[in-house]
Amino acid sequence: METLYISKKDWDSFIKGKCAGNIIFAPFENGSSLFYGKADAFNYADIVYDRARPVEPLRMFLLPFRERVVPEPEKIPDIVVMGAAACDLKGLEILDNVFLKSEYKDQNYAKRRNKTLLISFDCLAPYPTCFCELVGVHPYPEAGFDINISLSEEGILADVGSEKGMAFIGNDQKFFQASGEQVKKREEQRKKTVETLKESNRSYDFTRIDRMKGLSQTELWKVPREVENCVQCGSCTNNCPTCVCFLLEDTGNSEMLKKNKVWDSCLFPGYARMAAGASPRATLYDRYSNRLLCKYWYMVENFGIKGCTGCGRCIAGCIGKIDKRAVITEVLREKR
Amino acid sequence: MDKNIYEPIRCTVTEVVTESPAIKTVKLKPVKEFAFLAGQFASLTVPGVGEAPFTPSSSPYDREKIEFTVMKAGRVTSAIHNLKQGDIVGVRGPYGKPYPLDYYKGKEILLVGGGVGLAPLRALFFALMETVENYKKIVFCCGAKTPEDYIYKDRILDQWHDFCDKFPLSFRITVDKKCPDWKYGEGVVTKTLDGLDVDIKNSVAVVCGPPIMMKFTTLKLLEIGYEDAQIYLSMERKMYCGVGHCRHCLIGDLFVCKDGPVFTYDQLKGKPNIWV
Repeated sequence: METLYISKKDWDSFIKGKCAGNIIFAPFENGSSLFYGKADAFNYADIVYDRARPVEPLRMFLLPFRERVVPEPEKIPDIVVMGAAACDLKGLEILDNVFLKSEYKDQNYAKRRNKTLLISFDCLAPYPTCFCELVGVHPYPEAGFDINISLSEEGILADVGSEKGMAFIGNDQKFFQASGEQVKKREEQRKKTVETLKESNRSYDFTRIDRMKGLSQTELWKVPREVENCVQCGSCTNNCPTCVCFLLEDTGNSEMLKKNKVWDSCLFPGYARMAAGASPRATLYDRYSNRLLCKYWYMVENFGIKGCTGCGRCIAGCIGKIDKRAVITEVLREKR
Repeated sequence: MDKNIYEPIRCTVTEVVTESPAIKTVKLKPVKEFAFLAGQFASLTVPGVGEAPFTPSSSPYDREKIEFTVMKAGRVTSAIHNLKQGDIVGVRGPYGKPYPLDYYKGKEILLVGGGVGLAPLRALFFALMETVENYKKIVFCCGAKTPEDYIYKDRILDQWHDFCDKFPLSFRITVDKKCPDWKYGEGVVTKTLDGLDVDIKNSVAVVCGPPIMMKFTTLKLLEIGYEDAQIYLSMERKMYCGVGHCRHCLIGDLFVCKDGPVFTYDQLKGKPNIWV
């Protein structure tokens, strides 16, 4: 992989130039949080490079809340998404497994995936809710991007991860080969971020997370007291980079069958309830635990990788203020 | 270009048969051939209402028509019950793994069905009859709540018995609660498993019915000597996509839609809430 150097000023004007003729989404500050917004020739300098993941998961660009699947969907445009964090890119591995590497390929997803250029960022200031290091993900992207940006005081290091990324840079003369010294400095910066994350997650123990397999007993999930604070709002699933559950909605008539794919949440009581009213996940504890078991057991069996990338959005967005890290630590301790 | 995985085949309703007070069979003619194997299921769309998965109850050897036997239980099934001849519906599939008939060769096959659970077994029964020389024996145990609730009455209680003279086939028929003119057994379907004349070591048991019935049938089968891997269960879950994407039908890490809907009991043992 090629690593290039460009000054921050030159990068800004490079992006300004790209705003003409490209649809670019990037993280902007709104309140104290980062939200994706459309970048243009007026706001390009406000793009935030030195924080962590935005509020919205990357998947919202690839799996819209509601999309038509029958008949064929509308035209899907090419877009550039800047600012995805390593946790979000890792999440795409799950999405790719579900929608592309399946016997049945999801056409909409395949098209959107193909038409999205990903410019990821190193995390420089993780949030207290971030815990990627607990699940084996690092706060800097190593794969899955077209271009990755590492900002430092000196400027920007840009890793080029694909031909698409290389084509985006083109023959812009402001990019130079990064020096060994610059790459080394970045390693140190990255190590520091890792240390910050390890420190902020010191009180949680995920060392035996593989033992989540089989822990579906309702009673066990009553042990961590905070689980009862779950109001089943679906915030955790909506914010998750790997939650893929959807339902199909029929809106057509006998002349024209129409179907939409709409996000669903396994926290909703109706999610698994069958026609006659029986539900295999009848209690709150079954539904709450199902989401975690899906991430740390089912997806591991299904795809060989964990469904949790440590982005912490489910903790940050929880109305019941449930810290999943504490719940998992307690459940694993209980089962020791 | 890849196929749109959600596009159903349009079908015309040719007939709606009332099987019991709560169960109807809809007969459909698809605009193009629809092929499936016994045990596989399809998703049936009622335009503008919704979609739900059902295992066809018609013969897999008949590709011109397809039948679904449906119990009225919710929104989509109510709309199915309201269908009339000439209505248009959509069908997509088939999905899931069929019954492993090759593996059943040379074996004695025990079918245990209860209520609307007889629907998939009807398709399986047709398939078994087409290749009947492959199996040593077929014992079909059928149950329903009351005689009135029996589906396929004319076939199960009458027509199919003609086969019994020609093939090593027998029926064991019961209702939970009988009425005066009922000439068959009384008691829950597990009672028909008492005194079975089956070589259990060389047998497979195929079970389909409501969860409580499947649970107690499984326990009974284990009690009389069947191994976990010899018991085939038809599982049912809320389902949308049918293709392993939407994750609604997961039983633990198993997808009812693509790993099932037929599972052996050893696959399911230890998974969360298998009997609902």
